[in-house]
Amino acid sequence: MISRSPGGDPPAETPILSVENLSKCFGSVDALQEVFFSVDPGEIRAVCGENGAGKSTLVKILTGVHRPDQGTVRINHQTQTLRHPQAAQQQGIALVAQELSLAPHLSVQDNIWLGNRTVPLLHRRPHLRRQARRVLDIIGLDQLDLDRPAGSLTIGERQLVEIARMLARQARVLILDEPTAGLSDVEIERIFTALKELSSRGTTIVYVTHRLGEVFELCDTVTVLRNGKSVRSCRVTEIDRDGLIELMLGQSMREMYPPSRTSTESPLLVVENLKILGWVGDFSLSESSGQIVSIAGQISSGAAQVLRAVAGLAYDATGQVRIRGQPMSLGSVRGAQESGIRFISEDRAQEGIFLKLKVLDNLIATRLGAGFLSWSALHQLASNLARRVGLDDLRLGARAGELSGGNQQKLALGRSMGQEQKGVFLMNEPTRGVDVGSRRDLYKVMRQLCDNGNLIVMTSSDLEEVVGISDIIITMYRGKLVARYARDQVTMHQVLTDITHPRFRPGERKTES
Amino acid sequence: MLLILTVGALATPGFISTPSLAALLTSISFIGCVAVGMTFITLSGNIMSLCLGATLSASSLIFMAGLSFGVGPALALGLGFGTLFTAAQGLLVGYLRANPIIVSIAALALLVGSADYLTGGQRIYSPEDSLVPLTGTLWGMPVEALFLLASAVIGQIILSYTRFGRHIHMVGSNLKAARAAGVSIWRTVTGSYLLAGFFTALAGILLSARYGSGDMELGVGYDYDAIAAVLVGGTAIHGGEGSVMRTLLGVAVISAIQVVLLLYGFSQQMQYLMTGLIVLTVIMLHSLGERHS
Repeated sequence: MISRSPGGDPPAETPILSVENLSKCFGSVDALQEVFFSVDPGEIRAVCGENGAGKSTLVKILTGVHRPDQGTVRINHQTQTLRHPQAAQQQGIALVAQELSLAPHLSVQDNIWLGNRTVPLLHRRPHLRRQARRVLDIIGLDQLDLDRPAGSLTIGERQLVEIARMLARQARVLILDEPTAGLSDVEIERIFTALKELSSRGTTIVYVTHRLGEVFELCDTVTVLRNGKSVRSCRVTEIDRDGLIELMLGQSMREMYPPSRTSTESPLLVVENLKILGWVGDFSLSESSGQIVSIAGQISSGAAQVLRAVAGLAYDATGQVRIRGQPMSLGSVRGAQESGIRFISEDRAQEGIFLKLKVLDNLIATRLGAGFLSWSALHQLASNLARRVGLDDLRLGARAGELSGGNQQKLALGRSMGQEQKGVFLMNEPTRGVDVGSRRDLYKVMRQLCDNGNLIVMTSSDLEEVVGISDIIITMYRGKLVARYARDQVTMHQVLTDITHPRFRPGERKTES
Repeated sequence: MLLILTVGALATPGFISTPSLAALLTSISFIGCVAVGMTFITLSGNIMSLCLGATLSASSLIFMAGLSFGVGPALALGLGFGTLFTAAQGLLVGYLRANPIIVSIAALALLVGSADYLTGGQRIYSPEDSLVPLTGTLWGMPVEALFLLASAVIGQIILSYTRFGRHIHMVGSNLKAARAAGVSIWRTVTGSYLLAGFFTALAGILLSARYGSGDMELGVGYDYDAIAAVLVGGTAIHGGEGSVMRTLLGVAVISAIQVVLLLYGFSQQMQYLMTGLIVLTVIMLHSLGERHS
């Protein structure tokens, strides 16, 4: 019941949820303008858009956090005014938020009933236990012990329990806001299986995501938002990846990834026999400058820990690291920096940048020099760096926390740039939470860095990105290196196989480019 | 707020008289030096120290006891003790990531206990009248006020114009990010405590010089007034944001209120109550402000 009409879809026969002409502005900013869309029961609907396109505003209106300035929300043909989140819950709309909201010390069973308004405070009665078991079975956690504390689960399992909790609340429409951020591919697969199962049982799913691959893998239909407007809603079969990007950006993005190059110079970074207790068994690598090297692996593979160790942030790492042939000791951030290592954390808010400090302070954080500061020189440096990563000079005085995810990442990268000494940039998940437009900018900056004689070693859980941006791809499985490929030697499928179920024992084969 | 205060102060009979202004300036100076020190602890993300008042008292005792060796050694002993004792707490907090409040409470108990044991609860009087240069007036200003001014200027220069000062902001704003940026956490935190100890000991010495004696009661309540001043000045309780100059403003506000209350004949208890109310109000306003933004 979905046509290709731009700006929304015509009334379907039995939409469970529909919004019409929805608008919302914050101050002078129009967050949403005349948004239309409707979802049928059992449908999986992707909602895509860049940062600032209005996705989160839409989610907040649907879950009763914000109230629209105009327009209506209909649930089962009845116009509803969702005054507060409880009202949305009563209507069967449930949000599985990005930030996990389980109580880590309570059991799975307790967590499932936590915040449920229909059950008594002491919810140990057998029928509640049976019901909790049932919802867990539905989402594929049939092995999970109801009495395990939620804190002992993997992040993926926690996300599933979160979904189970919403099912226990009789949710008819599940809204998921970027549920796969930070999950490994195996865990993502489990979530997808659970969501497909739910959809086949008639639960409607609204799936908000940045990751275009997921749209085609999981969803039936997609609604694209751009600048607060619904640009188009259609079946995923009617559109391809490039078309989707074009809709999100409003312009064609012929080349998301800059062209690849390889280098044959003598190695800039050599890592030998790196061991990290509990993470990495025995890892070695030797790479030349001018390239982007990706280490691909699931969360448990230890890829991110390899970079942390080389950056001096792992305390129990052993092994040899040489930069330009000079040995470097592990365990000292300062020492690593002086050897030319620059680390960009995957956890921007907690470890990457100083959200409460100004953009200026962030850019010069590692560049203060000794003794007294020369503020005029530091200002000059900061505006230089800002320009190089495409940040507006005028925002130097703003707090870093006010920037979008994409701009924050540019800030984190900019801080490490512009030093005379060419070095190694270690980037964990460089584009996590970054919208498509900023992502393209970041890739461009990364490529420029390499062209200037630096080396980038990155990890990413987005395989499309790994295969797209890298010159060299190293796959890891459970703390061991599986293989090393040049970009044109490998397919996404091969990388996925390597990092999930390598058909050989890790470390036995090594493909040299 | 400031306007109301100024008008209120000026409207209070006796407020602009020279003696009471001088008294205000002097009392500001003692709290001020401690508050400048406290600013460093708060900025570095360690909330506050409950031990600074006792450190002030202990420094005054040691200074008085040291006077038998002469003024110079006494100054060195007093300042050295306050600085090192507080720096040691900084080491615990910075290196072992011990909870700063708990550490300060333990240090407080340690200090009060050992002082009581050593002095038997007695006051130590200044043996001679050689302390005049620390108590008089210079260029028409109480000497204490000049010391405060110097402390504040030095403190602000350290915060704004040295790498160490920027590191304090970074550690206070986000410890993990500071570590990833190559900042040495323990050095920065220990340094902040060291400065706090130095300024506190300075206040202790000035205060004992003014009274001609030192005892453990001298510094009671100073840590509390100091944190009140830091917060009223707008330094964030979680660290990372604030300045010595703001603290100075906070000190002025708190002291002005106290003097006005005193001139109107309110009791000491009333002043405590007022300070408590001010701190609560500021914290509430701050939380509300954060929720809105």
